[in-house]
Amino acid sequence: MRYSLYLLSCALIGGALPALAQSKTPDLSGMWDGARPTGDIARALPKGEKIPFTPLGLEKYKNVDMATNPNGQCLPPGPSRSVTGPSPFQIVQSPDIVAILFENHFDFRMIYINGKHPADVADYPTFMGHSIGKWEGDTLVVDTVGMNDRTWLDSNGLQHSEKLHLTEKFSKKGNDTIHYAVTYEDPVYFTKPWTFDLEVVRQKKDDRLLEYVCEENEKDFKTLKPTSRKVGE
Amino acid sequence: MTQKLAFSLAAVLLAAALPALAHHSFSAEYDNNKPITLKGKVTKVEWANPHIYYYLDVTDAKGATKNYAIEGGAPNGLYRQGWRKDSLKIGDVITVDGYQAKDGTDHVNGRSVITAEGKKIFAGSDDGGPNSNYR
Repeated sequence: MRYSLYLLSCALIGGALPALAQSKTPDLSGMWDGARPTGDIARALPKGEKIPFTPLGLEKYKNVDMATNPNGQCLPPGPSRSVTGPSPFQIVQSPDIVAILFENHFDFRMIYINGKHPADVADYPTFMGHSIGKWEGDTLVVDTVGMNDRTWLDSNGLQHSEKLHLTEKFSKKGNDTIHYAVTYEDPVYFTKPWTFDLEVVRQKKDDRLLEYVCEENEKDFKTLKPTSRKVGE
Repeated sequence: MTQKLAFSLAAVLLAAALPALAHHSFSAEYDNNKPITLKGKVTKVEWANPHIYYYLDVTDAKGATKNYAIEGGAPNGLYRQGWRKDSLKIGDVITVDGYQAKDGTDHVNGRSVITAEGKKIFAGSDDGGPNSNYR
């Protein structure tokens, strides 16, 4: 009896260990959205924090033409704005890939776990870039490069260059919250890396991603007028 | 869901729901110094992305009727607030609070609608325009 229990214990422990190791990887699956609107990241930063613009970055930010918002042209919002913007998204998780499906523009990101960036990633810049991820405890750390310079980082004209490098951390806090932090590095637009963070909350159980086809009845873009960004807007 | 129930739901969710990301910047198309209130009869509804459009026949004090194109929020955001594709019907008499286009055309961004039942509901999107959640 004692020997049988020993064998059973060995079998359970042997079987449980891989499962335990797997269970330590947080499950980010589900439908999520930011807990607060973040159309203007400069105003959403904690009090006293400022975006560390280079002279060029500040000039571009101050003189932006709001009519050139890439969203108005039905272009993809880019990897971080898709998360920080006020539209829900679905995370689908497997050991090798974490996919984020965005309602906004019905676009998606693939995060290759323990993957590598292609050596020629800079030669094929894209709106959503190339993302690799690794698990550090309860946090999924995502590294993204290979973005073109045609997206904004928020809805208020925050621009960047093709040198943009994003480091995002998705940290599960309980069952219904992810603490999201994105660090922006871009030596052309920012003097140093800086971070914006946001609580992301699970959406109602009966909600679902709704189709969004931007081109369906687009009739605004041709009527937009060159418009400067007012202070505080 | 009946229209009345849909709008009741919208009223309940008004404070909690976040409108969907706007397709374009409010300020690039509309003038927030040109508020306008229109009361008229719905002549056409386009329940479509990236913004719903509905059209109102509005008769002025002299008896002249003009047809206004009203831009609303995105269908997905409005749906979550309780709107449905038939929430506005042709022939409904409604009141719209909105802002006129910069180009002076009969094109208006509707921020809220007062339904025939007298319920006021948010009808815009998160575009930095007046009464949006943008910040």
